[in-house]
Amino acid sequence: MILRINLSNGKISDENLDPQVKKEFLGGRGLGTKIIYDEVDPKVDPLSENNKLVFAVGPLTGTAAPTSGRFEVVSKSPLTGAICDSNCGGQMAPQIKWQGYDAIIIEGKSKSPVYVWVKDKKGEIRDASNLWGNDVEETTKKLVEETDKRAQVACIGPAGERLVKFACIMNDEHRAAGRGGLGAVMGSKNLKALVVQGTGPTAVANKEKFMEVVKHCLMTIDKNPLTKDALKIFGTNALVSIINEVGIFPTHNYQFGHFDEADGICGPKYIERIFVKPYACFGCPIGCGRMTRVDGEVGGGPEFETVWAFGATCGVSRLEDIAKANYACNRLGMDTISMGSTIACAMELSKKGYIKEKINFGDSAKMLELTKLTGLKEGFGNELAEGSKRLAEKYGHPEIAMQVKGMEMPAYDPRGAQGHGLGYATSSRGACHLRAYMIGPEVLGVPALIDRFKAEGKVKIVKLFQDVSAAVDSLSLCRFTSFALTVDEYAALLSAATGVDYSSKEFIKVGERVWNLERLFNMKAGYGKKDDTVPRRILDEPLKEGNSRGRVLELGKMLPDYYKARGWDSEGAPTKEKLSELGL
Amino acid sequence: MVTPMERIPQADRKTKELDLSPEDIAGMVDHTQLSPYKATKQIKELCDEAKAYNFYCVCVHPFWTKFCANELKGTDIVIATVAGFPLGQSTTEIKAKEARKAVEDGATEVDMVMNVSAFKDKNYDLVKDDIRAVVEASNGCPVKVILETGFMTYEEITQASLLVKEARAHFVKSSTGFGPMGATIPHIWLMREAVGEGYGVKASGGINDFKDALRMIAAGANRLGTSAGVKIIDSYTWARYTDWDVEEIPCRLCPSRKANFDKMPKGTFQYYKMKCVDCPFREFNRFYE
Repeated sequence: MILRINLSNGKISDENLDPQVKKEFLGGRGLGTKIIYDEVDPKVDPLSENNKLVFAVGPLTGTAAPTSGRFEVVSKSPLTGAICDSNCGGQMAPQIKWQGYDAIIIEGKSKSPVYVWVKDKKGEIRDASNLWGNDVEETTKKLVEETDKRAQVACIGPAGERLVKFACIMNDEHRAAGRGGLGAVMGSKNLKALVVQGTGPTAVANKEKFMEVVKHCLMTIDKNPLTKDALKIFGTNALVSIINEVGIFPTHNYQFGHFDEADGICGPKYIERIFVKPYACFGCPIGCGRMTRVDGEVGGGPEFETVWAFGATCGVSRLEDIAKANYACNRLGMDTISMGSTIACAMELSKKGYIKEKINFGDSAKMLELTKLTGLKEGFGNELAEGSKRLAEKYGHPEIAMQVKGMEMPAYDPRGAQGHGLGYATSSRGACHLRAYMIGPEVLGVPALIDRFKAEGKVKIVKLFQDVSAAVDSLSLCRFTSFALTVDEYAALLSAATGVDYSSKEFIKVGERVWNLERLFNMKAGYGKKDDTVPRRILDEPLKEGNSRGRVLELGKMLPDYYKARGWDSEGAPTKEKLSELGL
Repeated sequence: MVTPMERIPQADRKTKELDLSPEDIAGMVDHTQLSPYKATKQIKELCDEAKAYNFYCVCVHPFWTKFCANELKGTDIVIATVAGFPLGQSTTEIKAKEARKAVEDGATEVDMVMNVSAFKDKNYDLVKDDIRAVVEASNGCPVKVILETGFMTYEEITQASLLVKEARAHFVKSSTGFGPMGATIPHIWLMREAVGEGYGVKASGGINDFKDALRMIAAGANRLGTSAGVKIIDSYTWARYTDWDVEEIPCRLCPSRKANFDKMPKGTFQYYKMKCVDCPFREFNRFYE
């Protein structure tokens, strides 16, 4: 079932979801992509009335399946102009599913600020004038008070209202649908929040079989050293020392691959200095989230990516300052990766004298000030709010922006992990570590350790990871499960929950279908082979120090074979045969 | 003549030719828990996993033998325990007593540690007597002899393997997991060359994923000692859905790279490092990892 809400005319309607679409795209990212592909002109201005926003959950959402509490938001991104799905944890997803909805489509634009309240399978558009200008924390508290204390809120902060290009959508105050600026899409529609409340649990087709598979999955997650120990004890910040040690921890805006002060922001130091307690999203046996305290203020995060974005890449090694910048992003509603990376870009522009502002690497006070100015779009924050690509282009030095397709690169320098770099270059939503997490095999040895410096032999593994990731996102499960679970377990969970028999290969095929549909949308939006690349620095400037020194990304060795492996032509366009095979 | 180092890329390539099911691999795994602090819950889980994955064997400290025998009653799963572990420096009488008690408690295989000091003294009779005593005390149960290959040169590994066979033990085994290095392709290959086909060669230590497991089998192992059995079998699923043919540089798999100045005899350390001087793969040697 789909709930469609038109903010222009106030019309709210329930629609049946075509069973064939459900079978072929599952839910979450797949379903959201299908809806956006069918209903949104790829050339539309992402911040116009004609763009749409889909909140989608998956067939396992709200069940006993581990990590079944995630939802996807899909739209055309104002940061990249490409299709973008942003995945969010917290507690909200089951509330949508428990009312029988697979997706909520938001379309049109309200004349004044509103929020949408969904309860008992009924949607309602309510005035949010009194909330406009409130930060995420205030908004969440007021909406819970105004609706129901059990309600869950996904809202934007001042950054979304002001159309910051990397504004995000926040749930449970500190969990984010972070990447791609979908908070700005909400802001452009004058939609302050989506508030939902449902009653569970989600019914499954074959309960006995389903619980048997769930039990096996929980056991497997409990056995895996990453999900059982590292993520539980340190959270995602367990990665700082590992990634720094192998020399792919981008430092000072990717000028270096090793951060000399990483011991100040590593996992053990995090526990000693700022940790308060772990946080688990709905249905999660891992609990990688961190609650922290700095100067009496308790907040969510920072997670690994944020520790990097406000740490190494900005040259900051004081965890307290990193946490404060994270808290500011949570309240303002901004993606910490893009924010930190854009500030780092400004720092390098400043250092090289390309801008007149004095912004030094390591100046944490300035970093915090700029974060706040960006969220409010004041002063130089107005320019940062456009993201690093537009910022660097404005000053005539696009090479300084560490981005792919307009989205800032995350915390792994691909010069020391060739497969991961191919993943960045070909990612459908711009630079993204989650589209093909090749750090698994290339660094962490999951599922098996492979030579991270070799370009040869990586293409098919990247393709498999991309397809499986798209399929897991379409289940709306957390990607961390894939450290422990394999496609066999995902297919078994899906089959038992839906009563439709999916083989592992069919499950992977769902992901491939989603990946190709995203490609088709992006090609119509103007993207193509020329955009399947990474910044010049990554291709031409070898790392100078650390355990990946001397390396560049050998993208040219991999890209043609990647297109072939995908069944695309030499320009990166899906062939008719491939589309036919996928039923597209 | 092919050198032990040259066996590394050979074995790595040979993994592609192996046609093994997850069940085949599970049937070679000694599912091992020799940590000094694991409690009843973890040992029970070890047994449960062995049953769920149909591993060949569980390998535990002597203290847990009775417990495992009870947990695995009615199954075909073998129970192995250790003697003279992990340093091999106990007297022969004590090792034999450990083995006898283990068998009484329900062990059906015994993994003993060779007396490396006596071997270094070239007191080969003592080494063999030490092994024979355990073999006799084990009352017909297969005995695996751990060489702790990280303490030995290539030539010593060959010599030690021959002694194990002469002493009528049943397996030659590479490492305890507590020594300077785990199983490596050249070491396993040398062990297999020494004892010949049809004899037991157990690779143990540092086998963390399915690629490691396949390399050890390609090098000549017919038994794998690992605490990562569940991960190996689960992750082997991924091999069904795409090629994982990323060839490793030989150095990452070479004992010369793993040689550790602080943990092994200085002469042995130097022996391994000097192998790099004439290595045909020296150009691959990189600074990382």
